Amino acid sequence: MEPKPPEFGKFAEPSLLILVSLSDGPKHGYAMMQDIERGTGRPMGAGTLYAALTRLEEQGLIEPLTPVDRRRPYRLTAVGASNLAEQLRGLSAFAQQGLRQLGESQP
Amino acid sequence: MRALLIRLYPARWRARYGDEFAAILEERPLGPFDVADIVLGALDAQLRLRGRGATIRQGRGFTVSLRIGGFAASIGALIWTVFFLQISPGKPFQGGIAILAFAGLLALLVAVTGLSAYQARSHPRLVWTAFAMTAAGTVAMAIGAAADLTPVGAGGWNEALVVLGALAAVVGSALFGIATYLNSVPMRGAAALLVAVPAIGAAAFIVALVSVDLAYLFMFPTYICFLAGWGALGIQAIRLDRTTTSPGLA
Repeated sequence: MEPKPPEFGKFAEPSLLILVSLSDGPKHGYAMMQDIERGTGRPMGAGTLYAALTRLEEQGLIEPLTPVDRRRPYRLTAVGASNLAEQLRGLSAFAQQGLRQLGESQP
Repeated sequence: MRALLIRLYPARWRARYGDEFAAILEERPLGPFDVADIVLGALDAQLRLRGRGATIRQGRGFTVSLRIGGFAASIGALIWTVFFLQISPGKPFQGGIAILAFAGLLALLVAVTGLSAYQARSHPRLVWTAFAMTAAGTVAMAIGAAADLTPVGAGGWNEALVVLGALAAVVGSALFGIATYLNSVPMRGAAALLVAVPAIGAAAFIVALVSVDLAYLFMFPTYICFLAGWGALGIQAIRLDRTTTSPGLA
């Protein structure tokens, strides 16, 4: 039986954005917010960020590091990296299918 | 204010995340968008720690975003269109007009909250004043609308509250328009329309001192600027949200 993927409900998108933001190395909360806004053009509020961070930490997808000046960095765990890769592959397959249906197949 | 917002979270949550969360809140000015987002985050944390997180997880809860702000602005513009079509000079407010005005202003309050994420960083005072004016107008409208449902409203004082609420809405909208215009977000055209409303309204007032009939000619463009400003702001926010929904982080 396949393991059930973590449920994030309305925080699914913020969770994915956080995982992607952490994919190139550990970051503290504010750096994640800036990174996400740069990448998506949309702001992420601190309330949404921490609601998603709490869930990701509970699921073992990210882990906290030692704080530096009250700023605590987080990093992806091995499970988190594997979960992120799985989600991105799923999104990529979905996008490829959509593009094929539109007749715009990608190389 | 920051300390108060953090106090909304459960003690257990604060013990674990409070310090780092406070450090994040100190990084930049908070606007109505941020405050609403934190309040909802605190509510989520409270429910989760009480074992009711599943309800929120599975439901499509309220999320403060450009989309919500955009829809609220569009709905507010629609409600105000109906309001302006219903009123005529010298005719007393009847048939729930005050309730309609209250609903319209409430929608604009949600719009200011949802759309203020960018503006509040560079012009926090301007955005908070716009929010406070719109909120005060909404309260005045709420009292006017409540009076409209009871015999006490027959005296006509509730009409004065509705007019005061509408004036607060115009000033609040103009201030929000200025903050949006200065912020260079791709909504400057719509923002300029909102800024023009009090200017044209003031011109109408001055003309009314000479000729009331002539003043009505100025009132029409005032209504159009207000409705078109909020309508366009709403549509642009929804479009902006749609074009930026796909994650582009690498």
